[in-house]
Amino acid sequence: MLSVLLGEHSPLEHVVQHTAPEWVMKIGQTSITLMSNHIFMQIVSALLIVLIVPWALRRRHDGDETSRLVPRGLGNAIEAVCEFLRKNIFEPNLGKYTPIFAPYLWSLFFFILVQNALGMIPLSEWFKAAPNHVVGGTATGNVFVTATLAVLTLILMVGSGLRYHGMAYVQHFFMGPPYIAWFIAILEVAGLIFKTLALCVRLFANMLAGHIIIAVLMSFIPAVAATMPMWGVAGITAAVVIGAVAFNLLEIIIVVPLHAFIFTTLTAVFIGLAVNIHHDDEHEEHEHAPAHAGGHH
Amino acid sequence: MTRKVMRLAVCAAFLATSMATLAQHDPHATDAAQQSHTADAGAGSAHGSQPNIFAGDLGNVIWTTVTFALVVIILGRFAWPALVSGLAQRERTIRESLEHARVERQKAEALLRDYTAKIERARVEATAIVDEGKRDAEAVRRRIQEETRKEADETIARAKREIQLAKDSAVKDLYDQTAELAVRVAGGIIRKELRADDHRGLVAESLQRISSSRN
Repeated sequence: MLSVLLGEHSPLEHVVQHTAPEWVMKIGQTSITLMSNHIFMQIVSALLIVLIVPWALRRRHDGDETSRLVPRGLGNAIEAVCEFLRKNIFEPNLGKYTPIFAPYLWSLFFFILVQNALGMIPLSEWFKAAPNHVVGGTATGNVFVTATLAVLTLILMVGSGLRYHGMAYVQHFFMGPPYIAWFIAILEVAGLIFKTLALCVRLFANMLAGHIIIAVLMSFIPAVAATMPMWGVAGITAAVVIGAVAFNLLEIIIVVPLHAFIFTTLTAVFIGLAVNIHHDDEHEEHEHAPAHAGGHH
Repeated sequence: MTRKVMRLAVCAAFLATSMATLAQHDPHATDAAQQSHTADAGAGSAHGSQPNIFAGDLGNVIWTTVTFALVVIILGRFAWPALVSGLAQRERTIRESLEHARVERQKAEALLRDYTAKIERARVEATAIVDEGKRDAEAVRRRIQEETRKEADETIARAKREIQLAKDSAVKDLYDQTAELAVRVAGGIIRKELRADDHRGLVAESLQRISSSRN
């Protein structure tokens, strides 16, 4: 960000992936990046999660037997988030399959959340003096990262549908009268692809755009410095700083957790659609019974 | 569960690898990857080259799959079971506490009913005891009153008797003194000393007359 402020680089510079040629392996025409700032931040995120979450969840209040049932500090917050997700997102969508998919979805949420959050820390500026460093950046601002996570969701959707319903899952794509069943099946399959693409692009674009906006805001300062008088530069600087701080706050408080939540929620919804394909039939049979899982189908 | 997730992760890795490979064969993607590869180490792309927001390759796919799979596996083994069991244990404890409280409440209500009934019985018994006490007190009062009245009557009767005796004695003394006085007066009148036998004869005669005159 400082480099942007000094007019050294493009506003896109700090959001894209950085690597060194020695960290890229070539297999034929295929390149494999062994290490980059996004990969490094991803590893740091994973390490933080696997070290902190189990530790935090095991910390309990001292005192009597009842107090020891309640986690404290960060563990309490993690438990509250997990319980909220389970009760309000997973159970309404997944129904009886909630215990099966909840661990995956919780892991997904924290994996994205921590990567988003680490992206808000200007680590690359702190390590600027270190040569060839790969610290800093938002891993979820990399389309290959979000695409991989989205493809995992697609595999879970299709795999779970086939596992729990077999060919009935395939058959449920062929809805309606025979003469349009194939057309609908094509649309359904296309829908699967679009859902995956939407997951991928939504997270990638939002995380990227947030950082670009802040960088663009900061780039106004060097842009006007050469052409405007001092008071004008001071005014623009003040406005830019206030705007950047406000946008950073918006990113930290809203955007970072929101997009982890959205990705997790949509994954739960999509998996729920795949594993609760008989919901409509059951609903018709139990017309007066309260609706349960798969309400979005 | 972990094994299933691992299987899915491997499938994802294969699929994503294929996608990434295809993407790299795309001329635009290759440019992007090249730009990334030729970038400076550390904090940015080389000067003069445009940063590519789609920079990335198969390495990102593999690392994402591996790190995420590790997160899922490790958390699935060391974090979520503790969370789920903790929540279940707390839910069970709360349910048991509520059930215990319900049972205790029922016991307390039964005890309250029992004590209320006992208090009601005690109140009735106390009322009965008080009533009985009142009746006994009334009887005692009447008995004492009766005894007192009887004693008073006897005292009055005894007093009357004593008065009568005193009166009789006084009357007798009066008669004696009157007779003696009369004899003295008569002796003085007749100037004659009478003997004692005469006196007694006169007195007896006078008394006889007086008695006869009273009758």
